[in-house]
Amino acid sequence: MKKSYDVIVVGSGVVGSSITYHLSEERNKEILSIDKDFPLSGTSGSTQAWVWVHNKTPAWYGELNMYSAELYSFLERKIGDVEYKRTGGIAPFFSEADREKALRLAEKQAEVGIKVEVLSRDEVLEKEPSLSRSIAGATYSKIDGNVNPFRLIELYIRAARKNGAKFSFYNPVMDITKENGLFKVTTQDGDYFSNQLVLAGGPWSKSLGKLLGIDVPIKQVRGQIVVTEPLRPFLSHTIGGVRQADNGEVLIGYSKEEVGYDLRSTLDIVQDTARMAIDFVPALEKVNVVRCFSGIRVMPEDGFPILGGIPGIEKGYIAAMHSGITLSPLVGTLMTELLSGGETSIDLERYSLNRFDSLQSIG
Amino acid sequence: MDKSTIVCRCEEINIDEIESAINLGARTFNDIKRLTRCGMGPCQAKCCMNLVRQIISDKTGQPLHEIRPPRMRVPLGVTRMGALAGSQASSVTSVFGESTEEGETVHEEKL
Repeated sequence: MKKSYDVIVVGSGVVGSSITYHLSEERNKEILSIDKDFPLSGTSGSTQAWVWVHNKTPAWYGELNMYSAELYSFLERKIGDVEYKRTGGIAPFFSEADREKALRLAEKQAEVGIKVEVLSRDEVLEKEPSLSRSIAGATYSKIDGNVNPFRLIELYIRAARKNGAKFSFYNPVMDITKENGLFKVTTQDGDYFSNQLVLAGGPWSKSLGKLLGIDVPIKQVRGQIVVTEPLRPFLSHTIGGVRQADNGEVLIGYSKEEVGYDLRSTLDIVQDTARMAIDFVPALEKVNVVRCFSGIRVMPEDGFPILGGIPGIEKGYIAAMHSGITLSPLVGTLMTELLSGGETSIDLERYSLNRFDSLQSIG
Repeated sequence: MDKSTIVCRCEEINIDEIESAINLGARTFNDIKRLTRCGMGPCQAKCCMNLVRQIISDKTGQPLHEIRPPRMRVPLGVTRMGALAGSQASSVTSVFGESTEEGETVHEEKL
Protein backbone atom coordinates (compact mmCIF):
# COMPACT_ATOMS: atom_id res chain seq x y z
CA MET A 1 0.00 0.00 0.00
CA LYS A 2 1.16 3.50 -0.82
CA LYS A 3 2.76 5.32 2.12
CA SER A 4 2.26 9.02 1.28
CA TYR A 5 -1.02 10.85 0.95
CA ASP A 6 -2.35 14.39 0.75
CA VAL A 7 -4.84 13.68 3.54
CA ILE A 8 -5.18 10.98 6.18
CA VAL A 9 -8.56 10.70 7.89
CA VAL A 10 -8.44 8.73 11.13
CA GLY A 11 -11.81 7.03 11.68
CA SER A 12 -14.22 5.50 9.15
CA GLY A 13 -17.47 5.98 10.98
CA VAL A 14 -20.25 8.17 9.66
CA VAL A 15 -18.26 11.38 10.20
CA GLY A 16 -14.90 10.11 8.91
CA SER A 17 -16.35 8.29 5.91
CA SER A 18 -18.44 11.33 4.96
CA ILE A 19 -15.36 13.56 5.13
CA THR A 20 -13.37 11.04 3.07
CA TYR A 21 -16.16 10.80 0.51
CA HIS A 22 -16.65 14.56 0.17
CA LEU A 23 -12.88 15.13 -0.09
CA SER A 24 -12.69 12.46 -2.80
CA GLU A 25 -15.37 14.14 -4.90
CA GLU A 26 -12.88 16.72 -6.14
CA ARG A 27 -10.52 13.95 -7.24
CA ASN A 28 -7.53 16.18 -6.73
CA LYS A 29 -6.22 14.65 -3.50
CA GLU A 30 -4.84 11.27 -2.51
CA ILE A 31 -6.73 10.24 0.60
CA LEU A 32 -6.30 7.44 3.11
CA SER A 33 -8.93 6.59 5.71
CA ILE A 34 -7.74 4.45 8.64
CA ASP A 35 -9.99 2.68 11.14
CA LYS A 36 -8.96 0.70 14.21
CA ASP A 37 -11.80 -1.71 13.52
CA PHE A 38 -14.32 -1.96 10.72
CA PRO A 39 -16.89 0.68 9.72
CA LEU A 40 -20.10 0.33 11.79
CA SER A 41 -18.33 -1.56 14.58
CA GLY A 42 -18.59 1.48 16.86
CA THR A 43 -21.02 4.34 17.35
CA SER A 44 -22.22 4.65 13.74
CA GLY A 45 -23.44 1.06 13.63
CA SER A 46 -25.40 1.15 16.87
CA THR A 47 -27.89 3.97 16.55
CA GLN A 48 -31.56 4.55 15.82
CA ALA A 49 -30.26 6.79 13.02
CA TRP A 50 -32.75 9.60 13.23
CA VAL A 51 -32.09 12.54 11.00
CA TRP A 52 -33.38 14.81 13.71
CA VAL A 53 -33.65 18.57 13.79
CA HIS A 54 -36.65 20.13 15.38
CA ASN A 55 -35.86 20.23 19.09
CA LYS A 56 -32.12 20.71 18.84
CA THR A 57 -31.42 23.91 20.75
CA PRO A 58 -30.35 26.70 20.80
CA ALA A 59 -31.75 27.68 17.42
CA TRP A 60 -28.31 28.14 15.81
CA TYR A 61 -27.53 24.49 16.56
CA GLY A 62 -30.95 23.48 15.21
CA GLU A 63 -30.14 25.47 12.10
CA LEU A 64 -26.90 23.50 11.54
CA ASN A 65 -28.88 20.26 11.77
CA MET A 66 -31.53 21.60 9.42
CA TYR A 67 -28.98 22.43 6.71
CA SER A 68 -27.56 18.94 7.00
CA ALA A 69 -30.98 17.25 6.83
CA GLU A 70 -31.67 19.30 3.71
CA LEU A 71 -28.57 17.81 2.07
CA TYR A 72 -29.77 14.20 2.40
CA SER A 73 -31.89 14.02 -0.74
CA PHE A 74 -29.00 15.53 -2.73
CA LEU A 75 -26.57 13.07 -1.15
CA GLU A 76 -28.77 10.13 -2.17
CA ARG A 77 -28.62 11.20 -5.77
CA LYS A 78 -24.84 11.06 -5.56
CA ILE A 79 -24.07 7.92 -3.53
CA GLY A 80 -27.26 5.86 -3.92
CA ASP A 81 -30.24 4.77 -1.85
CA VAL A 82 -29.49 5.11 1.86
CA GLU A 83 -33.19 4.64 2.74
CA TYR A 84 -33.51 8.23 3.86
CA LYS A 85 -37.10 9.00 4.72
CA ARG A 86 -38.42 12.37 5.79
CA THR A 87 -41.15 10.94 7.97
CA GLY A 88 -41.76 13.99 10.12
CA GLY A 89 -40.74 13.90 13.77
CA ILE A 90 -42.94 13.79 16.85
CA ALA A 91 -41.55 14.51 20.33
CA PRO A 92 -44.36 13.72 22.78
CA PHE A 93 -44.73 15.32 26.20
CA PHE A 94 -46.76 13.82 28.98
CA SER A 95 -47.60 16.86 31.11
CA GLU A 96 -49.78 19.80 30.14
CA ALA A 97 -47.22 21.99 31.94
CA ASP A 98 -44.78 21.32 29.09
CA ARG A 99 -47.02 22.98 26.49
CA GLU A 100 -45.74 26.45 27.37
CA LYS A 101 -42.16 25.28 26.88
CA ALA A 102 -43.14 23.64 23.58
CA LEU A 103 -44.63 26.90 22.32
CA ARG A 104 -41.47 28.80 23.22
CA LEU A 105 -39.42 26.17 21.36
CA ALA A 106 -41.59 26.63 18.26
CA GLU A 107 -41.15 30.39 18.47
CA LYS A 108 -37.34 30.20 18.83
CA GLN A 109 -36.93 27.66 16.02
CA ALA A 110 -39.12 29.72 13.68
CA GLU A 111 -36.52 32.50 13.89
CA VAL A 112 -34.05 30.32 11.95
CA GLY A 113 -36.65 28.78 9.64
CA ILE A 114 -37.37 25.49 11.42
CA LYS A 115 -41.13 24.99 11.37
CA VAL A 116 -42.27 23.37 14.61
CA GLU A 117 -45.93 22.77 15.42
CA VAL A 118 -47.25 22.18 18.91
CA LEU A 119 -49.91 19.48 18.75
CA SER A 120 -52.79 18.72 21.10
CA ARG A 121 -53.42 15.16 22.21
CA ASP A 122 -56.06 14.69 19.51
CA GLU A 123 -53.76 16.04 16.82
CA VAL A 124 -50.98 13.69 17.92
CA LEU A 125 -53.36 10.72 17.88
CA GLU A 126 -54.63 11.70 14.46
CA LYS A 127 -51.06 11.51 13.12
CA GLU A 128 -50.12 8.40 15.09
CA PRO A 129 -53.20 6.51 16.30
CA SER A 130 -51.07 3.94 18.15
CA LEU A 131 -49.55 6.41 20.57
CA SER A 132 -50.74 6.42 24.16
CA ARG A 133 -53.75 8.45 25.23
CA SER A 134 -51.75 9.53 28.26
CA ILE A 135 -49.69 11.81 25.99
CA ALA A 136 -50.59 15.47 26.62
CA GLY A 137 -49.26 16.74 23.31
CA ALA A 138 -46.16 16.86 21.18
CA THR A 139 -43.90 19.07 19.18
CA TYR A 140 -43.88 18.11 15.52
CA SER A 141 -41.90 19.04 12.46
CA LYS A 142 -41.93 17.78 8.90
CA ILE A 143 -38.16 18.09 8.60
CA ASP A 144 -37.25 15.12 10.78
CA GLY A 145 -36.76 11.62 9.48
CA ASN A 146 -34.42 8.67 9.58
CA VAL A 147 -31.92 6.78 7.49
CA ASN A 148 -30.44 3.29 7.33
CA PRO A 149 -27.02 3.79 8.95
CA PHE A 150 -25.62 0.56 7.52
CA ARG A 151 -26.45 1.59 3.97
CA LEU A 152 -25.31 5.18 4.59
CA ILE A 153 -21.78 4.33 5.70
CA GLU A 154 -21.36 1.49 3.21
CA LEU A 155 -22.31 3.82 0.37
CA TYR A 156 -20.09 6.67 1.59
CA ILE A 157 -17.19 4.22 1.48
CA ARG A 158 -18.11 2.64 -1.86
CA ALA A 159 -18.45 6.08 -3.45
CA ALA A 160 -15.17 7.29 -1.93
CA ARG A 161 -13.38 4.19 -3.22
CA LYS A 162 -14.79 4.77 -6.67
CA ASN A 163 -13.25 8.25 -6.51
CA GLY A 164 -9.87 6.76 -5.66
CA ALA A 165 -9.78 7.08 -1.84
CA LYS A 166 -8.00 4.26 0.01
CA PHE A 167 -9.16 2.56 3.21
CA SER A 168 -7.26 0.58 5.80
CA PHE A 169 -9.40 -1.34 8.30
CA TYR A 170 -8.59 -3.26 11.51
CA ASN A 171 -5.56 -1.03 11.75
CA PRO A 172 -5.20 0.92 15.01
CA VAL A 173 -3.28 4.20 14.98
CA MET A 174 -0.60 4.01 17.64
CA ASP A 175 1.21 7.31 17.29
CA ILE A 176 1.08 10.57 15.38
CA THR A 177 4.09 12.84 15.02
CA LYS A 178 5.20 15.61 12.69
CA GLU A 179 8.33 15.15 10.60
CA ASN A 180 9.59 17.73 8.11
CA GLY A 181 6.17 19.36 7.96
CA LEU A 182 4.36 16.08 7.31
CA PHE A 183 2.22 14.04 9.65
CA LYS A 184 3.67 10.62 10.37
CA VAL A 185 0.88 8.26 11.39
CA THR A 186 2.21 5.09 12.97
CA THR A 187 -0.25 2.22 12.67
CA GLN A 188 -0.17 -1.47 13.35
CA ASP A 189 0.49 -2.00 9.64
CA GLY A 190 3.32 0.52 9.39
CA ASP A 191 3.91 4.26 8.95
CA TYR A 192 1.88 6.52 6.68
CA PHE A 193 2.62 10.15 5.85
CA SER A 194 0.31 13.02 4.92
CA ASN A 195 0.23 16.73 4.41
CA GLN A 196 -3.12 17.17 6.18
CA LEU A 197 -4.65 15.12 8.97
CA VAL A 198 -8.25 14.80 10.15
CA LEU A 199 -9.18 13.19 13.46
CA ALA A 200 -12.67 11.69 13.19
CA GLY A 201 -12.41 9.11 15.94
CA GLY A 202 -15.86 9.57 17.51
CA PRO A 203 -15.76 8.14 21.04
CA TRP A 204 -12.01 7.57 20.74
CA SER A 205 -11.30 11.24 19.94
CA LYS A 206 -9.86 11.83 23.40
CA SER A 207 -7.15 9.20 23.04
CA LEU A 208 -6.39 10.30 19.46
CA GLY A 209 -6.05 13.89 20.71
CA LYS A 210 -3.56 12.75 23.34
CA LEU A 211 -1.26 11.48 20.57
CA LEU A 212 -1.04 15.10 19.41
CA GLY A 213 -0.85 16.49 22.93
CA ILE A 214 -4.30 18.02 22.97
CA ASP A 215 -7.33 17.45 25.16
CA VAL A 216 -10.57 16.71 23.29
CA PRO A 217 -13.34 17.33 25.81
CA ILE A 218 -15.85 14.63 24.98
CA LYS A 219 -17.77 12.18 27.12
CA GLN A 220 -18.89 8.66 26.23
CA VAL A 221 -22.59 8.15 26.91
CA ARG A 222 -24.10 4.70 26.42
CA GLY A 223 -27.55 4.28 24.94
CA GLN A 224 -29.40 0.96 24.90
CA ILE A 225 -31.95 0.01 22.27
CA VAL A 226 -34.62 -2.69 22.28
CA VAL A 227 -35.73 -4.14 18.92
CA THR A 228 -39.05 -5.93 18.31
CA GLU A 229 -40.02 -8.60 15.85
CA PRO A 230 -41.08 -7.26 12.43
CA LEU A 231 -44.60 -5.82 12.68
CA ARG A 232 -46.97 -4.56 10.04
CA PRO A 233 -46.29 -0.86 9.28
CA PHE A 234 -48.16 1.08 11.96
CA LEU A 235 -45.83 3.95 12.99
CA SER A 236 -45.34 6.38 10.14
CA HIS A 237 -43.34 9.10 11.92
CA THR A 238 -39.98 9.19 13.64
CA ILE A 239 -41.04 9.53 17.26
CA GLY A 240 -38.59 10.80 19.86
CA GLY A 241 -37.48 7.48 21.36
CA VAL A 242 -39.31 5.12 18.99
CA ARG A 243 -39.20 4.40 15.30
CA GLN A 244 -40.30 1.63 12.97
CA ALA A 245 -37.77 0.51 10.38
CA ASP A 246 -38.57 -0.39 6.78
CA ASN A 247 -38.55 -4.09 7.60
CA GLY A 248 -41.20 -3.63 10.31
CA GLU A 249 -38.97 -3.86 13.38
CA VAL A 250 -39.62 -1.20 16.01
CA LEU A 251 -36.55 0.32 17.70
CA ILE A 252 -37.06 1.81 21.15
CA GLY A 253 -34.68 3.55 23.51
CA TYR A 254 -33.47 6.78 24.99
CA SER A 255 -31.32 5.74 27.95
CA LYS A 256 -28.13 7.53 28.94
CA GLU A 257 -25.33 6.14 31.08
CA GLU A 258 -21.76 7.28 31.50
CA VAL A 259 -19.98 3.96 31.80
CA GLY A 260 -17.02 4.52 29.47
CA TYR A 261 -16.62 2.34 26.44
CA ASP A 262 -18.76 -0.54 27.63
CA LEU A 263 -21.03 -1.93 24.91
CA ARG A 264 -22.91 -4.44 27.03
CA SER A 265 -26.69 -4.55 27.26
CA THR A 266 -27.93 -4.60 30.84
CA LEU A 267 -31.21 -6.05 32.03
CA ASP A 268 -32.17 -3.03 34.18
CA ILE A 269 -32.04 -0.59 31.27
CA VAL A 270 -33.61 -3.12 28.88
CA GLN A 271 -36.54 -3.47 31.31
CA ASP A 272 -36.81 0.28 31.77
CA THR A 273 -36.82 0.72 27.99
CA ALA A 274 -39.57 -1.91 27.65
CA ARG A 275 -41.65 0.17 30.08
CA MET A 276 -40.96 3.28 28.06
CA ALA A 277 -42.08 1.42 24.91
CA ILE A 278 -45.42 0.59 26.52
CA ASP A 279 -45.79 4.14 27.92
CA PHE A 280 -45.42 5.53 24.40
CA VAL A 281 -47.23 2.81 22.42
CA PRO A 282 -49.41 0.61 24.66
CA ALA A 283 -49.92 -2.05 21.96
CA LEU A 284 -46.22 -2.89 22.14
CA GLU A 285 -46.91 -4.77 25.37
CA LYS A 286 -48.06 -7.76 23.32
CA VAL A 287 -45.19 -7.88 20.84
CA ASN A 288 -41.99 -9.87 20.99
CA VAL A 289 -38.57 -8.41 21.66
CA VAL A 290 -36.04 -10.11 19.41
CA ARG A 291 -32.82 -8.36 20.30
CA CYS A 292 -31.12 -5.49 22.06
CA PHE A 293 -28.02 -3.50 21.27
CA SER A 294 -26.13 -0.66 22.81
CA GLY A 295 -24.04 2.16 21.42
CA ILE A 296 -21.73 4.81 22.78
CA ARG A 297 -22.71 8.39 22.05
CA VAL A 298 -19.97 10.91 21.44
CA MET A 299 -20.90 13.85 23.64
CA PRO A 300 -18.75 16.97 23.61
CA GLU A 301 -18.79 18.51 27.08
CA ASP A 302 -21.04 21.39 26.02
CA GLY A 303 -23.11 19.20 23.66
CA PHE A 304 -22.06 20.93 20.44
CA PRO A 305 -19.87 19.71 17.57
CA ILE A 306 -16.10 20.16 17.70
CA LEU A 307 -15.21 21.06 14.15
CA GLY A 308 -12.31 22.75 12.43
CA GLY A 309 -8.58 23.21 12.69
CA ILE A 310 -6.73 21.96 15.75
CA PRO A 311 -5.28 24.99 17.56
CA GLY A 312 -1.50 24.94 17.44
CA ILE A 313 -1.28 22.03 14.99
CA GLU A 314 -0.87 23.33 11.49
CA LYS A 315 -2.84 21.33 8.88
CA GLY A 316 -4.38 19.23 11.65
CA TYR A 317 -8.18 19.10 11.84
CA ILE A 318 -10.80 17.52 14.04
CA ALA A 319 -14.47 16.55 13.68
CA ALA A 320 -16.08 15.07 16.80
CA MET A 321 -19.76 15.33 17.59
CA HIS A 322 -23.02 13.91 18.82
CA SER A 323 -25.69 13.50 16.08
CA GLY A 324 -23.11 12.43 13.51
CA ILE A 325 -25.79 10.71 11.43
CA THR A 326 -27.83 13.91 11.07
CA LEU A 327 -24.78 16.12 10.62
CA SER A 328 -22.58 13.97 8.36
CA PRO A 329 -23.58 15.37 4.94
CA LEU A 330 -22.95 18.94 6.09
CA VAL A 331 -19.81 18.15 8.09
CA GLY A 332 -18.28 16.33 5.11
CA THR A 333 -19.03 19.35 2.92
CA LEU A 334 -17.68 21.93 5.39
CA MET A 335 -14.51 19.99 6.19
CA THR A 336 -13.81 19.61 2.47
CA GLU A 337 -14.14 23.38 2.04
CA LEU A 338 -11.83 23.92 5.01
CA LEU A 339 -9.15 21.46 3.87
CA SER A 340 -9.24 22.87 0.35
CA GLY A 341 -8.28 26.23 1.77
CA GLY A 342 -11.51 27.94 0.90
CA GLU A 343 -13.96 29.81 3.04
CA THR A 344 -16.51 27.52 4.69
CA SER A 345 -20.20 28.01 3.80
CA ILE A 346 -20.93 28.29 7.52
CA ASP A 347 -18.60 30.07 9.92
CA LEU A 348 -16.99 27.36 12.06
CA GLU A 349 -15.60 29.72 14.72
CA ARG A 350 -18.27 28.77 17.26
CA TYR A 351 -17.44 25.05 16.78
CA SER A 352 -13.70 25.44 17.32
CA LEU A 353 -11.87 23.39 19.91
CA ASN A 354 -10.65 26.79 21.13
CA ARG A 355 -13.90 27.44 22.96
CA PHE A 356 -13.19 25.10 25.83
CA ASP A 357 -11.57 26.74 28.82
CA SER A 358 -10.09 23.43 29.81
CA LEU A 359 -8.09 23.32 26.60
CA GLN A 360 -4.44 23.06 27.46
CA SER A 361 -1.51 21.34 25.98
CA ILE A 362 -0.86 18.10 27.77
CA GLY A 363 2.02 17.19 25.52
CA MET B 1 -23.71 -26.16 -1.92
CA ASP B 2 -23.58 -23.12 -4.21
CA LYS B 3 -23.52 -19.35 -3.74
CA SER B 4 -27.28 -19.19 -3.21
CA THR B 5 -27.22 -21.59 -0.24
CA ILE B 6 -28.91 -19.92 2.74
CA VAL B 7 -26.63 -19.35 5.72
CA CYS B 8 -28.96 -17.28 7.93
CA ARG B 9 -32.46 -18.74 7.85
CA CYS B 10 -34.09 -15.97 9.90
CA GLU B 11 -33.03 -13.20 7.51
CA GLU B 12 -32.56 -15.37 4.40
CA ILE B 13 -28.94 -14.42 3.79
CA ASN B 14 -26.97 -16.61 1.39
CA ILE B 15 -23.27 -17.43 0.96
CA ASP B 16 -22.91 -14.91 -1.85
CA GLU B 17 -24.00 -12.04 0.43
CA ILE B 18 -21.60 -13.14 3.17
CA GLU B 19 -18.76 -13.29 0.66
CA SER B 20 -19.60 -9.80 -0.67
CA ALA B 21 -19.23 -8.42 2.86
CA ILE B 22 -15.86 -10.17 3.19
CA ASN B 23 -14.81 -8.71 -0.15
CA LEU B 24 -15.64 -5.26 1.23
CA GLY B 25 -13.14 -5.96 4.02
CA ALA B 26 -15.25 -7.40 6.87
CA ARG B 27 -13.42 -10.00 8.97
CA THR B 28 -15.65 -10.66 12.00
CA PHE B 29 -19.14 -12.05 12.48
CA ASN B 30 -20.48 -8.75 13.87
CA ASP B 31 -19.02 -6.71 11.02
CA ILE B 32 -20.69 -9.02 8.49
CA LYS B 33 -23.92 -8.86 10.48
CA ARG B 34 -24.19 -5.09 10.17
CA LEU B 35 -23.68 -5.20 6.41
CA THR B 36 -25.99 -8.12 5.65
CA ARG B 37 -28.42 -8.47 8.65
CA CYS B 38 -27.13 -12.04 9.02
CA GLY B 39 -27.81 -13.09 12.63
CA MET B 40 -30.21 -10.24 13.45
CA GLY B 41 -33.34 -12.41 13.39
CA PRO B 42 -35.22 -14.39 16.05
CA CYS B 43 -32.53 -17.05 16.59
CA GLN B 44 -29.94 -14.33 17.31
CA ALA B 45 -27.17 -16.03 15.36
CA LYS B 46 -27.53 -19.38 17.08
CA CYS B 47 -27.85 -21.10 13.68
CA CYS B 48 -25.54 -19.05 11.48
CA MET B 49 -22.70 -17.99 13.77
CA ASN B 50 -20.37 -20.91 13.14
CA LEU B 51 -21.31 -21.20 9.47
CA VAL B 52 -20.30 -17.58 8.93
CA ARG B 53 -17.10 -17.98 10.95
CA GLN B 54 -16.24 -20.98 8.77
CA ILE B 55 -16.80 -18.96 5.58
CA ILE B 56 -14.56 -16.16 6.91
CA SER B 57 -11.88 -18.71 7.73
CA ASP B 58 -12.14 -20.41 4.32
CA LYS B 59 -11.99 -17.14 2.41
CA THR B 60 -9.30 -15.35 4.40
CA GLY B 61 -7.16 -18.20 5.67
CA GLN B 62 -7.51 -16.93 9.22
CA PRO B 63 -7.70 -19.85 11.69
CA LEU B 64 -11.26 -20.47 12.93
CA HIS B 65 -10.33 -20.07 16.60
CA GLU B 66 -9.14 -16.50 15.97
CA ILE B 67 -12.50 -15.38 14.56
CA ARG B 68 -14.46 -13.72 17.33
CA PRO B 69 -18.02 -14.90 18.01
CA PRO B 70 -20.69 -12.19 18.38
CA ARG B 71 -21.44 -10.65 21.78
CA MET B 72 -24.30 -12.42 23.58
CA ARG B 73 -27.03 -10.10 24.81
CA VAL B 74 -30.32 -10.23 26.67
CA PRO B 75 -32.86 -11.52 25.81
CA LEU B 76 -31.33 -14.88 24.88
CA GLY B 77 -34.66 -15.94 23.41
CA VAL B 78 -37.60 -14.02 21.98
CA THR B 79 -39.46 -12.40 24.94
CA ARG B 80 -42.73 -10.46 25.24
CA MET B 81 -42.30 -6.73 25.83
CA GLY B 82 -44.84 -6.93 28.67
CA ALA B 83 -42.81 -9.64 30.40
CA LEU B 84 -39.65 -7.53 30.22
CA ALA B 85 -41.48 -4.42 31.44
CA GLY B 86 -42.84 -5.86 34.68
CA SER B 87 -45.05 -3.46 36.60
CA GLN B 88 -42.87 -0.47 37.53
CA ALA B 89 -43.01 2.92 35.81
CA SER B 90 -40.26 3.85 33.36
CA SER B 91 -37.57 6.35 34.28
CA VAL B 92 -36.19 6.71 30.76
CA THR B 93 -36.35 10.38 29.80
CA SER B 94 -38.28 11.67 26.80
CA VAL B 95 -36.60 13.39 23.90
CA PHE B 96 -38.77 16.43 24.44
CA GLY B 97 -36.94 16.95 27.72
CA GLU B 98 -33.84 17.73 25.65
CA SER B 99 -35.27 20.94 24.23
CA THR B 100 -33.82 23.52 26.52
CA GLU B 101 -34.32 27.19 26.76
CA GLU B 102 -31.69 29.84 26.50
CA GLY B 103 -29.54 29.71 29.61
CA GLU B 104 -30.48 26.19 30.64
CA THR B 105 -27.91 23.43 30.65
CA VAL B 106 -28.02 21.42 27.47
CA HIS B 107 -28.04 17.61 27.58
CA GLU B 108 -28.75 17.44 31.27
CA GLU B 109 -28.42 13.90 32.53
CA LYS B 110 -31.66 12.82 34.12
CA LEU B 111 -31.19 9.11 34.45
